Amino acid sequence: MKNTVFKKFSGLLLLVIVCFSCASDLDFNQVNDVKLEPVFVSNLASFEIPAKDFVTGGVEQNVIYAVPTVDIFNDSFFRNNLVKAGLDFEINNTINRAYTLEITFLDVNDSPIHSINFSIPAYTGTENLVSTTETFENTQLNILKRTTKMAFLLRMASGPALTENSLGSIKLRSGVTAYFIIE
Amino acid sequence: MRKKALIFTLFIAMSCFSQNKQILYNFTSIPQSMMTNPGSDVKYKWYFGVPLLSGISANVGSSGFSAYDLFADNGVDFNDKLRNVLFSTTKKDKVAVNEQIELFSGGFRIGPDEKKAYISFGMYQEFDMLSYMPKDIAVLAIDGNKDYLGKVFDLGDLNVKAEMLSVLHVGYHKNIKENLILGVRGKIYSSVFNATSTKNSGYIYTIPSTGNSVYEQVIYSDLQLNTSGIAQYDDENYTADVASDIRKKVVLGGNLGVGIDLGLTYYPQKNIQFTASAVDIGFINHTKEVEGLRYKGYYKFEGVKPNFLDPSQVSDAYQEFKDAIPLDTVYTKYTTWRPAKFNSSIQYSFGEDRSDEECDCQGFDSETVYKNAVGAQLFVMTTPRTPLVAFTTYYRRKISNGLQLKATYTLDSFSYTNIGLGLSSKLGPVNFYVLADNLLEYKDITKSNSFSFQLGLNVIFNDK
Repeated sequence: MKNTVFKKFSGLLLLVIVCFSCASDLDFNQVNDVKLEPVFVSNLASFEIPAKDFVTGGVEQNVIYAVPTVDIFNDSFFRNNLVKAGLDFEINNTINRAYTLEITFLDVNDSPIHSINFSIPAYTGTENLVSTTETFENTQLNILKRTTKMAFLLRMASGPALTENSLGSIKLRSGVTAYFIIE
Repeated sequence: MRKKALIFTLFIAMSCFSQNKQILYNFTSIPQSMMTNPGSDVKYKWYFGVPLLSGISANVGSSGFSAYDLFADNGVDFNDKLRNVLFSTTKKDKVAVNEQIELFSGGFRIGPDEKKAYISFGMYQEFDMLSYMPKDIAVLAIDGNKDYLGKVFDLGDLNVKAEMLSVLHVGYHKNIKENLILGVRGKIYSSVFNATSTKNSGYIYTIPSTGNSVYEQVIYSDLQLNTSGIAQYDDENYTADVASDIRKKVVLGGNLGVGIDLGLTYYPQKNIQFTASAVDIGFINHTKEVEGLRYKGYYKFEGVKPNFLDPSQVSDAYQEFKDAIPLDTVYTKYTTWRPAKFNSSIQYSFGEDRSDEECDCQGFDSETVYKNAVGAQLFVMTTPRTPLVAFTTYYRRKISNGLQLKATYTLDSFSYTNIGLGLSSKLGPVNFYVLADNLLEYKDITKSNSFSFQLGLNVIFNDK
């Protein structure tokens, strides 16, 4: 009697063990197919120059410039994974003078490799935003990946004279939308 | 490599399980039940476990998804499966994989018959891993921040620890009174390797701005990963044999710690039993081969600020960011606490069985033996966040002198349908046991959210 009960439960035990083998097909190599496509937005550059900064000692400065380092696209993660980038620029001029802004992309040897030009009308009492988006894709993208500095050159057109008490400013806001494919 | 690390993190982060051994607990015909309660009412003259085969257990599981959801060979694009899995889980989903193998174990009775006391000892190897789903970080990695303007990504979602260790232990339990058994077990831990990153905080957010910049973008990070016993394998010049290193560390050559288990069994009446235990109250001091990574700092990213007043000053926003939140390597010693486990049970026995002369080691009085027992158990385990809690009801049946059966039904945060079954057989002095839970899931194990099993082989000699 005992033996029968034991056999019965040994059978059940075996059944439990056999159940371990029930499984659908799995393919762990699929990990190699992974493809992440994140899109990040971030600030790129910004400045605000008050009208008085165009006047030094009573004399107008018609050309001002700055050359900050912009080497983020040069970073190995960007070089390997960036597939598209959109650079957004928005300029708001509240000074009663027209400007041109030239942004030149410089490589590691300080050689210019790309430039963007903006024509900024004088302020006449109503908001006058100048905005543009520059998209870098395919071969154009290499320009961005080689860039290590950006030269900002502002030229002031002729017009009513500015003094150290003149109002208004010229303001630039710039953001970047970076598209990655990580495999 | 980056990709594999990410997938691995996601995978381990989305499974979940605890170290609940609800079938083994208080299953006193199995000596290994003393590992869940050092005050178990286990009786023996002497016993030993068959080396390497006396106690093998593993728990694997997942609350948010199953292996099938992610790795099914069904023609669905893996990236779609990955997204489905990610967006169907929450930061509360977690995995705790646990594996134990007894290297050796044994025990013997000491003292006169009326004041029975028992010594038990042994050594086991254990692997533990607990990770929470790093949801926000994974969303950021997969989607980026463009479609999540205004969302605060919580870097504290990253919470993971993994450890391999060996445990040398000696336990003692004694019938203090006829109806009360107290037990204690001292443990020495030797950590083979440890990786802990559980006290993280920080956030990243991007909000459209109407101010001077396009976005208000802030990153605050206080992330730290501590490791011990791993750093040297990162060194290309390190040529020693990993297997031999592990063997040395298992034999008390790793980072050492101490711990204690406490437990009791009490019979308010002959057929009513109450038990309670606290297991792995202990810590490990990591002093050897420690290496950590820290990523700490605050930065408000405003982009490049051209300086027109002094063009000779070259600003570099990216460098500023890297300086503000540097990735540092640290070599500080640290302490980890073992996950403490608390068990308690109440049991009612019925159906007296006096037909056999042989003591079957159930019940506090060997002359009165019950064929059946029903009971309820509570399990609580500490984690870096909210403790894990499980409630189990069970029925235990003595089929014959050589065979006991325990069936359990467990409720926890992972499953409401966890049915387990345990069998312990004894042929002569040879005790074999096999315990498994989540039996309903076994019809296709790849789709199951969790499973666990324990099995082992002992040689037990009792008094006639």
